[in-house]
Amino acid sequence: MIIKTEKINNINIISIQGRLDSNTAGELEQRLLPTIDQGETHFILDFSELDYISSAGLRVLLQAAKKINAVCGKMAICAVKPEVKEVFDIAGLTIIFKMFDNPDSAVKAIL
Amino acid sequence: MDITTKISIPNQIPEIEKVCDIVSTFGEEKGLPQKIIFAFHLALDEILTNIISYGYRDKDEHIIDIHLSLQAGALALEIIDDSVPFDPSDAPVPDVNQPLEERKIGGLGIYLVKNLMDEVEYKSDNGTNRLTLKKKF
Repeated sequence: MIIKTEKINNINIISIQGRLDSNTAGELEQRLLPTIDQGETHFILDFSELDYISSAGLRVLLQAAKKINAVCGKMAICAVKPEVKEVFDIAGLTIIFKMFDNPDSAVKAIL
Repeated sequence: MDITTKISIPNQIPEIEKVCDIVSTFGEEKGLPQKIIFAFHLALDEILTNIISYGYRDKDEHIIDIHLSLQAGALALEIIDDSVPFDPSDAPVPDVNQPLEERKIGGLGIYLVKNLMDEVEYKSDNGTNRLTLKKKF
């Protein structure tokens, strides 16, 4: 898994590439959660190159969403591949995460 | 005609992707629908993650056997291990209607498995766990 981060104004755009599973979720947890504790509040997760997600990945995203919600921040996910979206659907998490087709529409939504 | 194949792995997280990929390749070679291949890949990932992450009280190496069985119209996977007995039907069911603040972090793995598979059957037999996952196509 490769994690790329970019910041535009106060929005953190994080691109997660490859697989987000029990082998790699810890890395995302270590990269993402502390930044929320350090005061970052706006996040866009770009899933355009995310091929696979398991419950380990969903767990980190849920933890992040709760933390962001607690500081009245905003998070959106964009460009989710169908097979990844299906896992969110089965887990009943599609309604919890705001999903958009591309980074631009995600940015507009959380500004 | 039944086609069976057996894979064994040590209880290490990086082994999970390897065995899931073997199962996916098996499915592709046998011409199974993509949805079935995806379902088994994820379900097996979730089960093995649970076994390896939570199933052993020691730091020793343990072997987990995975038996694949292709029957007419169905694929079955049997996972055989000597970890702490755990019946998936005992797992708490997450409430998927709860809002974000109340959603619990845990329980998603087994929940996914139950939704992905047609049958999930657990047996504990003298210190050996046998979990069978089955899906028709």
